[in-house]
Amino acid sequence: MSKTKKSICLLLASLMAFSLLLSACGGGNKAENANSGKTQNTEPTKSSEKPVELIWYTIGAPQKDLSRVMEEVNKYTKEKINATVDMKMIDFGDYSQKMQVMVASGEPMDILFTCSWAFDYVQNARKGAFMELDDLLDKYGQGIKETLDPAFLKGSKVDGHNYAIPANKELPAQEVWRFNKELLDKYNLDMASATTLESLEPLLKTIKENEPDITPYAMVKDFMPLMPFDYVIEKMPMAVYLDTKDYKVVNILETPEIVDTLKTVRKYYQAGYLSPEVATTTSVDDLYKSGKWFMDRAATQPFADNLWSASYGYPVVSTAAGDPYVYNWSVMGSMQAISANSKYPEKAMEFLNLLNTDPVLRNMIDSGIEGVHYEKVSDNVVKNLPDSKNYDMPTFSLGNIMINYLNEGDPENKWEEFKKFNASGINSPLLGFNFDTSKITNEIAAVQNVKEEFWSSLMTGTVDPEEYLPKANEKFKAAGLDAIIAEAQRQIDEWRATVSE
Amino acid sequence: MKAVGGFFQNIYKSKVMLFMVLPGALWFLFFSYLPMFGTVIAFKEYRFSRDGFWASIVNSKWVGWDNFKFLFSTNDAYVITRNTLLYNLAFIFIGLILSVVLAVILSEISNKRLAKTYQTGMFMPYFLSWVIVGYFTFSFLSSERGLLNQVLQSFGVDTIQWYNNPKFWPYILILVYLWKAVGYNSVVYLAAIMGIDRSLYEAAMIDGASKFQQIRNITIPLLKPIITIMTLLAIGKIFYADFGLFYQVPRDSGTLYSVTNVIDTYVYRGLKSTGEIGMSTAAGLYQSVVGFILVITSNYIVRKYDKDSALF
Repeated sequence: MSKTKKSICLLLASLMAFSLLLSACGGGNKAENANSGKTQNTEPTKSSEKPVELIWYTIGAPQKDLSRVMEEVNKYTKEKINATVDMKMIDFGDYSQKMQVMVASGEPMDILFTCSWAFDYVQNARKGAFMELDDLLDKYGQGIKETLDPAFLKGSKVDGHNYAIPANKELPAQEVWRFNKELLDKYNLDMASATTLESLEPLLKTIKENEPDITPYAMVKDFMPLMPFDYVIEKMPMAVYLDTKDYKVVNILETPEIVDTLKTVRKYYQAGYLSPEVATTTSVDDLYKSGKWFMDRAATQPFADNLWSASYGYPVVSTAAGDPYVYNWSVMGSMQAISANSKYPEKAMEFLNLLNTDPVLRNMIDSGIEGVHYEKVSDNVVKNLPDSKNYDMPTFSLGNIMINYLNEGDPENKWEEFKKFNASGINSPLLGFNFDTSKITNEIAAVQNVKEEFWSSLMTGTVDPEEYLPKANEKFKAAGLDAIIAEAQRQIDEWRATVSE
Repeated sequence: MKAVGGFFQNIYKSKVMLFMVLPGALWFLFFSYLPMFGTVIAFKEYRFSRDGFWASIVNSKWVGWDNFKFLFSTNDAYVITRNTLLYNLAFIFIGLILSVVLAVILSEISNKRLAKTYQTGMFMPYFLSWVIVGYFTFSFLSSERGLLNQVLQSFGVDTIQWYNNPKFWPYILILVYLWKAVGYNSVVYLAAIMGIDRSLYEAAMIDGASKFQQIRNITIPLLKPIITIMTLLAIGKIFYADFGLFYQVPRDSGTLYSVTNVIDTYVYRGLKSTGEIGMSTAAGLYQSVVGFILVITSNYIVRKYDKDSALF
């Protein structure tokens, strides 16, 4: 018997070794990355003559020519502020999780991207991930203070302090209905008739009846109908009305608005205007690529139609679906923070100041090297060269966009229009209020789970709201929604008392 | 003195063996024993400190059992515990029976080349990631273009919204899991069968035992120790659900949560946006403590009945 046991142990051990080997192969890449990060940081950069190396984590798909461009950038920054940057890019889908782990484990870094939708700014500021910037801004960030719309710095304060530098870009968020223009023209439809969700029905109906291969409304599982609320936490059912006077936090599942809206969405779902899989669809890029969609809803900015048409390769037009509101999350849409464990916060701030004010640096980081990735058509207009695909950066995430060169075809008054758009924004009631969830983390975790269970299927009309809305509400309450609402109400009242003083 | 000398003599005597153990021992030391100090985070409200990871741990405030509360605070606690336990029990027992049966069948196939082909075919799914398996399943169950719905349609039956119908999912999940895992496990049993002394079978054949009698009286009893060990190991992981299976395969469809939500997906969904490390550490600690207790208990029971089959 013991002989069999021995051989079994041997067998198990070799199997384990085998699977370890396999997993080691898979993980090899990661380990290498971690190592390279470490070796770079142990380089002594303390002496004042030597340029300081700043480590900068930012969001976006890593680019092939990144190190080549950074070499050029470093030549420039070394001259200007005696610092170099080592930029590390993490793809959109991985950014939050990887940064959470890296920040929690104290990975050395100086500058990092943060916002309302990835590596959450407010929560991480409260947890102590970022350095408080008030003094640094006064000392080294005067340029930022001058160029940036004051609403940005004001709106991104957490408990009265700035922890990150917002990018100067569109300030309000405005939703539009987007249409595939070819189909609009083909059936001679007028997009001006699209105002509310209900008003879309005749348009959708025409397409459904005549074009069986087209998805009339290209919707994903994150869809959220437009309702007149300012949410305390995005996509969680507690909110105040946009036109609120008393700042009462309501449970939106109990409002008449949601009952009506969900009825409409349900009607559209049953009529086949949406994909039957909508509640599990995470992306409709295939529809955009093939042009087999008629309409959807998106957040706009000035001249957005041009951007969309250029990226899809066919004309896309849009009409307003709501008013431009300035929300907390739109103010905090893209920011760069200085890490709490940064060794050179002053240099980091000097660099951020330069990035937001110096067109040469800003454009180099955005578009790459002149003559390689782009060429100049005129003084401030550029044309992409074929190699630009090796350095295709998300413009909005890298600081002030309003000092960027214009692309060929961009209207001359592009940035003027941005400023006008920013001025047109209406402040949402909760602008400047940041919910502190530290006292109710257990309830948040439980409510989050209930939300994941019901949200998508309810909001996309996949399930009958008459049956599921009360069910969801009951479960939300059991998970502690009322406690969260009460805490939110308490904090909002406190916040209003300090604001009105 | 003599004992100490004996100890070093012992080390010297088995130096080759110890040297062979060294890499594995180091691996466990670095990746299993050292990180264990991190469990202290489960009892803290983790806040970042600018002086690095250790400083963050030391400076964070003690919160006692607060981080564990979210696991038990709602009636979801019952659902996720039930799902995790029942699915894993089903996986362990159905998986065990199927793997052993397949191993026995494979060992009886006289055409060795054919047997190897089958074996490889069954082994392959084990190496696929759950994301890919999720898309395989989707190609069967998609409501518009899925294979199953098209078959239903061609028979004139109403199609089914698979991703909105919880009642089918216990079967689908078990089926998908077995498809992926059984091949791998059967290789373990097959290897054990290959190690059985052939003379036992020859003696049985001379005595006139049928194939079935041989299997029942020789193969299965001799497989018993490895079956016990494999099952004990699986029981240790009974509180860990296979995240990919329960998240990717049902495409994170909310209407299916009543039958697809398990401890690991619950923790992920609850904490993915807040990133509270303390709470996720608490969940992990809870899972491993329960697993530890279960292994010790079941090993104790096995020991009582059959000392040789027990793990330790």
